[in-house]
Amino acid sequence: MSAALTGPPLPSPTGPGRFFRQLDLPLLGATLALTGFGLIMVYSSTHVSAHPFLYVRSQALHLAVGVAVAGFLLAVDYRNFASGARPLYVVNLLMLAAVLVVGRTSLGAQRWIALGPLGQFQPSELAKIVIVITLAKHLTDRPGPYRSVWELMPFLGHIALPILLIFKQPDLGTALVYGAIFVGMLFAGGARRRDLAVIGAGGLLLVPALWHVLKEYQRRRLLAFLHPTLDPLGAGYGIIQSKIAVGSGLLWGKGLFAGTQGVLRFVPEHHTDFIFSVVGEELGFVGSVALLGLFLLWLVRGVRVATVARDRFGALAAVGIVSMVAFHVFVNVGMTVGMMPITGIPLPFISYGGSALMTMIWATALLLNIGMRYQKAGIEFDASPAVPVRVIRLRGRSERLEE
Amino acid sequence: MDRERFERRLTVLLAVIGGMLAVLAIRLWQIQIVQGEYYLRLAEENRIRVTSITAPRGQIRDRQGRPLTLNRPAFTVSLVPTELQHPELVIPEVARRLGMTPQEIAAKLAEIPDRPYEPVRVRRDVPKEAMAALEENRMDLPGVLVQVEPVRDYLFGPLGAHLLGYLGEISERDLQTLRSRGYEAGDLIGKDGIERIYDGYLKGRNGQVQEEVDAQGRPLKRLARVPPTPGDIVDLGIDLDVQKAAEEALGPRIGAVVAMDPRDGTIVALVSHPAFDPNRFATGILAKEWDRLLHDPQQPLLDRAIQGGYPMGSVFKIVTATAALELGLVHANSWFYCPGYYALGSRIFHDHEEHGALNFVEGIAKSCNVIFWTLARPVGPENLAKYSRMFDLGRVTGIDLLQESAGVIPDPEWKQRVWQQQWFPGDTLNTAVGQGYVLATPIQVARLVAAVANGGTLVTPHLVTRISSPEGRLLLRLAPPPSGQIRLSARTLEVLRAGLEAVVTRGTAVSIQIPGLTVAGKTGTAENPHGRPHAWFAGYAPIDTPRLVVVALVENVGYGAEFAVPIAQRVLQAAFGTGQPGAPHPAPAPAGGTRPDDTHP
Repeated sequence: MSAALTGPPLPSPTGPGRFFRQLDLPLLGATLALTGFGLIMVYSSTHVSAHPFLYVRSQALHLAVGVAVAGFLLAVDYRNFASGARPLYVVNLLMLAAVLVVGRTSLGAQRWIALGPLGQFQPSELAKIVIVITLAKHLTDRPGPYRSVWELMPFLGHIALPILLIFKQPDLGTALVYGAIFVGMLFAGGARRRDLAVIGAGGLLLVPALWHVLKEYQRRRLLAFLHPTLDPLGAGYGIIQSKIAVGSGLLWGKGLFAGTQGVLRFVPEHHTDFIFSVVGEELGFVGSVALLGLFLLWLVRGVRVATVARDRFGALAAVGIVSMVAFHVFVNVGMTVGMMPITGIPLPFISYGGSALMTMIWATALLLNIGMRYQKAGIEFDASPAVPVRVIRLRGRSERLEE
Repeated sequence: MDRERFERRLTVLLAVIGGMLAVLAIRLWQIQIVQGEYYLRLAEENRIRVTSITAPRGQIRDRQGRPLTLNRPAFTVSLVPTELQHPELVIPEVARRLGMTPQEIAAKLAEIPDRPYEPVRVRRDVPKEAMAALEENRMDLPGVLVQVEPVRDYLFGPLGAHLLGYLGEISERDLQTLRSRGYEAGDLIGKDGIERIYDGYLKGRNGQVQEEVDAQGRPLKRLARVPPTPGDIVDLGIDLDVQKAAEEALGPRIGAVVAMDPRDGTIVALVSHPAFDPNRFATGILAKEWDRLLHDPQQPLLDRAIQGGYPMGSVFKIVTATAALELGLVHANSWFYCPGYYALGSRIFHDHEEHGALNFVEGIAKSCNVIFWTLARPVGPENLAKYSRMFDLGRVTGIDLLQESAGVIPDPEWKQRVWQQQWFPGDTLNTAVGQGYVLATPIQVARLVAAVANGGTLVTPHLVTRISSPEGRLLLRLAPPPSGQIRLSARTLEVLRAGLEAVVTRGTAVSIQIPGLTVAGKTGTAENPHGRPHAWFAGYAPIDTPRLVVVALVENVGYGAEFAVPIAQRVLQAAFGTGQPGAPHPAPAPAGGTRPDDTHP
């Protein structure tokens, strides 16, 4: 266990309203630092234009809305989400299907639903949290032990539907994120490694079949990664330019706001998916590694929430969120430095994009929620997890909840 | 699962996360610290150049597979903004060599501010001499790029110019919506005609070259090359020989010719004169020349075959006859007496001739106005409008060309709305013989005649029949469904056809007779306020199994029989090989209308 997991024992919570005193401050601090960092980088990558504050203002607005909603998410006991898992799952599928019907097309993909004056909304982002919640509930309801790969099939079916809908948009990257969430949560939930390996191998075998489903631009991007010399139409150009941008940052970088004039106009999507190339160029190796350090802190605290969670539902939900963010960071940064194909996955908290930012804020709120309602647990998890406190009290079994 | 095992698994998870971040950090170390200087040099000198390779545009071919357009190689001079170290020296020099002003070049450079690494085309199709001079001074002109690009070649110049259309540089607005489909700044895009409507197929996909270049812009190392994909082949129903014959027959006169298959609406020839040479547009037309075309009083850019609304003259009698027959007001052997005039109250309408006693079929053949004036009042203006609309007059045909005109079919309500005047009985008489307010395009008239020829089907005219990949694989077969089916009684059709046949055998268009080919049709001479009447002929052949509808219109020349009939005759001869299918094409037909025709119109 890392040091972060085995810190000094936390004080025992007492009395109503005690929860907020239990907020995981390092996690909160890491989140604040990341979002602040993100706002600065969004400004840095978009300020050279007629409207220098256009993007950063929009991003700040989404952040404010996200934080307001996050306050509400913190106040409600997270176990309420578990009891609402079934309708959540259904509504989520409907939303994803709605995108395909009424969605707005951009760059050849249908990902957005127009919300009038509120701009547009990307249901596949929010769906990430919904999948974490519903899969955690599902894993709690079927706690195992999972003795064969067939016992994992219900969970595979659970994520297969949303993945198919996302694939239709088409949004390869987000579909992969769901896969990462699935693997992380099932692993933590007790699935056997060899069973997960079988499912992974099955997924790989599907690749040739999926190849026909992929849109041409996605095939081009994958091919450009596998064979940079084929480099069809600019997909490889983005990788080259991004590497040049990051590499030219050297140890200390060219200085904040100093990168945009030169190289960054060459990097496509440099305020969204490729924002790490701005970090790399302007803040250099030191700044890049510092950002990775912030992510490491966030992720370690997230894992700690999983260890202290009072029930299986909370623990697995925390693992799902951690897996999601870790995958985002690895794939996004990996793409920027030419290690990963271009999949269109944003850098959490940093990339410009309202839906993604709010999703990350809410995911953090869910983590904090789970963390602050922890219970000094025994060897076993709470045997009746995923049932809200209030309901139990109404049934007159409140003694179970006494600390 | 017990907590201990869960925590063990979380430890593994944490290790994986730590490992991933460590890998990223190592990679950052590698490119920022180890290779950082190399990337910094690349960044500072912008030494990666990306040039796009223009895809050869797809061929447009006639119905026999003969190309109407090809591509020829030509020199294009571009400037690369990021490599342009001394614009104040280079731009005037390039301008001088290319015969442009420095301001023009500066304006082109200013158009694309967000992608400074992409070459900006300054001029296409640069002549060889200018090229040689530029190449000589290449070392002094860093940032200047010369490429060989395919340029559209319209093999027959102005032939079919209106239907083929022309190219122009993509506009900023089009680019915003089309960028995701592979269009790039500076691309040529179809602006009109087939070139525009089927641009998505014709364009192909541009290729790309990425290379490292030195400070003088000389390529050092090619990083990647993607070959361009040529555009798809678009096959038309146009027959080059018939199109040529139609254009030659129309000669220098202003007008339009339509030849169409009445069975499915495939266009065999579509002529509008005067025309323009689309080759002038193929490399980006000069503003001065464009201005001249735009303001030419003869309107060469107007496609008269589909955009010109004309009074139909006696061709409209097909509609009046249909209405009278369907309403039961007349039949084939109804007898009339034509004294050469018709009295409406105190007003006398004069016919061009005193036809004496004749039946309805002969009345159509001789185009007797008195008969149609007599029928006009019992038919009434509402029925004239109703039967016109039944033939889809007043509505666009849906041909695969842009900005088709719908024409005008008047009725009392229309006149009140547009002219704020009531409808007079005289208007009804004028309408019945195709004068007055009726306006129709030659393509609409072709569809009307086709409906008589094929038994009432309102075909959708179309130019393109097939689209195939450059390798010849069929991608798309186009056969648009008819826009409607008219229910005409067999008797009505019979009388109409008998009338139109009589026009050719013993009526106003006897001069069209072609040995071995039976023809039916109707002449028209449309009075108009712009001078001499417009000459019309609209007909079909052969009469038993109609395979071709021909409509000829000549503006402001005189009688239909004299000016339009000979054109239709030439077209039919070209299409049917003097009436013997498969025979070689005939010598040019006798010029003019053979003999003055006093029995018109």
